[in-house]
This record gives sequence, structure tokens and C-alpha cells, in this order.
Amino acid sequence: MYKVKITTVIVIAASILFISLFLGPKVINPFSLDATETNILLSIRLPRVIVAALVGVALGASGAILQGLLRNPLADPYILGISSGAALAATVGLLSGSYLSCTFSIPFTAFTGALVVSLLVGMFGWKRGGILPERLLLAGIGLSFLFYALLMLLISISSDAEMRRAVLWIFGDLSLADWSLIPYGLLLIVSGLFLSISRAKALNALMLGDDLAHSLGFSIHKEKILFFVAVALMTAASVAMGGTIGFIGLLIPHIVRFLIGADNRRLIPVSALCGGAFLCIADLIGKSIMHPAEIPSGIVTAIIGAPYFLFLLRRRDVLTT
Amino acid sequence: MSSPRNQPILLFNNVSFTYAEDKPFIDGLTFSMEDGEFIGLLGSNGSGKSTILKLACGILRQSAGYVSLWGKPLTAYRNKDRAKLLCYLPQLLDLQVPFRVRELVSMGLYPYDIPPGITVDEALELVGLADKSDVFVMNLSGGERRRTFIAMTLLQEAGLVLLDEPLANLDIKYQLELLRLLRELQAQKNISVIMALHDINMAMQFPKVMLIKEGKILSSGSPEHVLTKDLLKEAFDVGIEIRKDGSGATYMSYENFL
Repeated sequence: MYKVKITTVIVIAASILFISLFLGPKVINPFSLDATETNILLSIRLPRVIVAALVGVALGASGAILQGLLRNPLADPYILGISSGAALAATVGLLSGSYLSCTFSIPFTAFTGALVVSLLVGMFGWKRGGILPERLLLAGIGLSFLFYALLMLLISISSDAEMRRAVLWIFGDLSLADWSLIPYGLLLIVSGLFLSISRAKALNALMLGDDLAHSLGFSIHKEKILFFVAVALMTAASVAMGGTIGFIGLLIPHIVRFLIGADNRRLIPVSALCGGAFLCIADLIGKSIMHPAEIPSGIVTAIIGAPYFLFLLRRRDVLTT
Repeated sequence: MSSPRNQPILLFNNVSFTYAEDKPFIDGLTFSMEDGEFIGLLGSNGSGKSTILKLACGILRQSAGYVSLWGKPLTAYRNKDRAKLLCYLPQLLDLQVPFRVRELVSMGLYPYDIPPGITVDEALELVGLADKSDVFVMNLSGGERRRTFIAMTLLQEAGLVLLDEPLANLDIKYQLELLRLLRELQAQKNISVIMALHDINMAMQFPKVMLIKEGKILSSGSPEHVLTKDLLKEAFDVGIEIRKDGSGATYMSYENFL
């Protein structure tokens, strides 16, 4: 039933990724490239499209996983504080200048932050030998506020140049995308994606409730921990590469679920793909619409995403279908 | 599935379980279940019905004693292997799941790498939902939703089915429909069933009833043997008597509270 829809989505997403390479403040004709255009394409456009796609993939997949795992349509890495934890840790790295000494330090600190927050949220959400989704969400919201407050404190005491860089990055900035972070980001995101897609049946079962998932032969605690690790890996990579970009994790899984159903074996990979394509479009708009100034991608995703989400909400019950 | 060497398919041997640090909720419970039995686990709210079923499928772990399944300790089974022998439908099912009927029912195949004999269409046919396979579960009636989950357990092909209050919150029509369906399936598929319930009227429809109070079995056997005035008074703390009218039909008589 869903084969045609999935194929259509894949073709559209792949086309967006390809076209994004050639559109922008300067439109490049792929059939007549000169040396300058080849240089722009390989040094600026290609890494930026790859970073946008990878960050979108990570956020789309993470949102789908968390909404299923917590059985709550509002769950995404931001609500749970995982993004703000990663952002806080990475900002410390950014403002202390450690990223200058080692390229790997930003994804590493972001990953550490994401992992620590995942553990903290899990600890607060743990009661009577299991994770309670409501407690987890409330703990995430609380921690998220705390981390953002600490982030603002850090920024307010930093120098002007550092502050501008950090603020842009917190709003989701892809303007400094280059090849250096791509291998690490790719490794973390592919690992998280592989882990979650390979366990997608368990996520389907967990959506029916812990007791039924147990009855269907899954180890509840093990599966939940694996999914949190997958989300931590992907969120850390996305924050390290693109800062904190909101709304993709919330919006994309809802639209994809509406199109192709809730089976996570399809939902996770297609949400990932659509997340990647959506962020490429947002980045294209952000860098073109007020050229030479750039609007951070996180602002564009929220400006496009929020009204569309509200429109969908009024049109039909996306929260349940 | 037949029991090897005539061992009980489910055995509780001196099982104890404690929720908090205080006194045990289940204390030294012993009972066994034979192949093909259809048992109604009857008791008032908080009597321990759900706890017993959760201990039987390994969601809860006993603090003392042991539970065995087809002669082997429950803890010795791998999760997937246990799921092929025993399935459990909890009392609080999330009926707002965003799946279509076919998607949900097919999850019954998850414990298997190679699907067993029965197909999704056959399971839907057996529960009378063949024409609803593409409908969202949340758009079904209460009785149809329960039948969807029953179809899922059928696909799981487990020999022992544990059902926690599946008749709760259903209209009497759906209660009887579901009970009849389960009896038919039990006969056709040779499965064994334990169903927790607190409705004495429904318990009268079971060939065997286990009456429990505070985690202990007060009596076990045929409804005529178990559902006596004294035992019901002890289990429910209300004077209830099962009587027969002139036509031989049974009915319940309550002591007058009002």
C-alpha cells in the first residue's frame, strides 16, 4: 500500500539534495562548470549540503524514535533536553577554544553532553524498575530549561566575537560547514541510524506498552537503552555539526507518519530522509533570501515548520495518526 | 502444544512476591495448570490476579519459589523462545495506537524468524475482522479492538494465553462475543487460557474457576464447586448466592445493601 508513496518520497528527497548543490545566492549550471564554480561546488556547496542532510537525517530519525519510545507526539531531542545538553557541552568547547586544537573535540564534547543528559533524564524518569514516559518528559523539560539558562550565562560572559559565533550556532548555523566534521558526524549518525532501524520491530512493540512488548519477546530495558544511545549518538552529531536546529524532530515524523503509517521499519528511515531534505531546503532559503546576510537554518525551520504544523493540526489529528 | 512427560504446562511452586519492603503480596502460592485448560481467575480488585499473571509471564520476578513453563524454569527461556510458548494481554491496552489492524496483528509474528503456519489474513478471519484489516485500530469499537489484540496473540501461536481482564469496560454483548470466540479458538487451536476477571456472572461460563483473595487461592474447580455463598462472601465481602430458576438458568442473588 505504501510502496508508491515511499518511492515518491525517496525520489523527491534525493532530487532536493541534488538540486541544493546548484541553487543558492549564485546559481550554478551543472553542465558548464568553470574552475571557480567547481571550487565553490566542492569546497563550499557540497560539504554544506552534506552537513545539512546529515543533521536533518539525525533530527528526523531521532524525533521518530523518541515519539515512539515515549508514546508521546511531542517528544523530540529538544523537549528531552538532549540537544541543550549537547549544546551546552559543545559551547563550553567552542568558547574555550578547544575546537581550534582538535577538530574532533566539538563532536566529542557534544556527544558527552548528549550522553550525560540522556543518562540524567533516564535516571529522573526511572521508577519502580522501569522508565515512566511522563516522568522522563517532565525531567527533560526541566533539564532543558536549566541547560539553556547555563548556555545564556556562558554567552553573556564571553567576548563579542565568541558570543556572535555561539549565538549563531545555538540558533542552528550551517555557514561554517566544511569537510572536517563530516567523517565524525557521518560515523555517529550512521551508527545511530543503523542501531535504531535494526531494532525497529522492538520500537513498534514498545509503542503497544512495556507489558505487550515483553510478551512479544523483547527485553524492555535493553531495547530502551539501545534507542537512547542511538538518539544520543545522532543528536550529538547534529548539534556538533549544525548547532541546535529545532522543529525537524517534531514536525517531520508527524508528516511522514501521516503519509506512510506508523511502522517504525519505514517511519525511521523515511523520516531521516525527509529531515535531510527539509533542512537542505531551509538552508537554501536561509542563505539566499537576504543575501549577503544569512538567516540561521534553525530560525528558518521554525518559521516554516511551526505554521505548517499548526495547519496540519487543524486539518486532521496528526498527533494520533 | 502438548506437555512433555505429562508435566503441567504452568507451575507455581511456593511462589512469593513483594511489591514494597513490607509483607509479601503473594505468599507461598502453589498451583499448576494442565494442557488445554480454560481457567477463570476470579477475585475482587487488588486480590492479586494481575500480579499472578505477570509472574506467570516473567514481567514480575518472584522473591521466593519458582515458576516453570512446560517443565522448565521460566527464567531459563530466552525472551523469544518464551514468547513462542506464552503470550500475555495486559489489562490496560493502549487502544490509541497509531497502527492499522493488519500492522498490529502482524506484530504477533515478531518472535519468529520464520513465520509459523497461521497467516495474518487467517487470524483476522478467525476473529471476524477480515474486512477491517486496513482500518486504524483507534477507529474500531471496543469489542473490535480487543479482538484485534486477540488476533495478534493467535499469530504468536503460543500454547498458553494469559488474559488480564479482557472483558472489562465492554458491553455485555461484546463480553459474551469475546468469551465465545476464545472458547472456539481454544477448541480449534488447542490452546490453554487463563483469564483474570472480577465478574461472577462471566466466571460461571468457565469450565474451571480459581477464586483468589489477597494472593491466595481460596478454591479451585468447577463453578458449581467454587462459587458457593461462603466462598464468595470470603472473596468479595458481600453476600452473594448463585441460584437456579425454574427453567434451570442460573442467576445471582445479592444481600440487600440499600
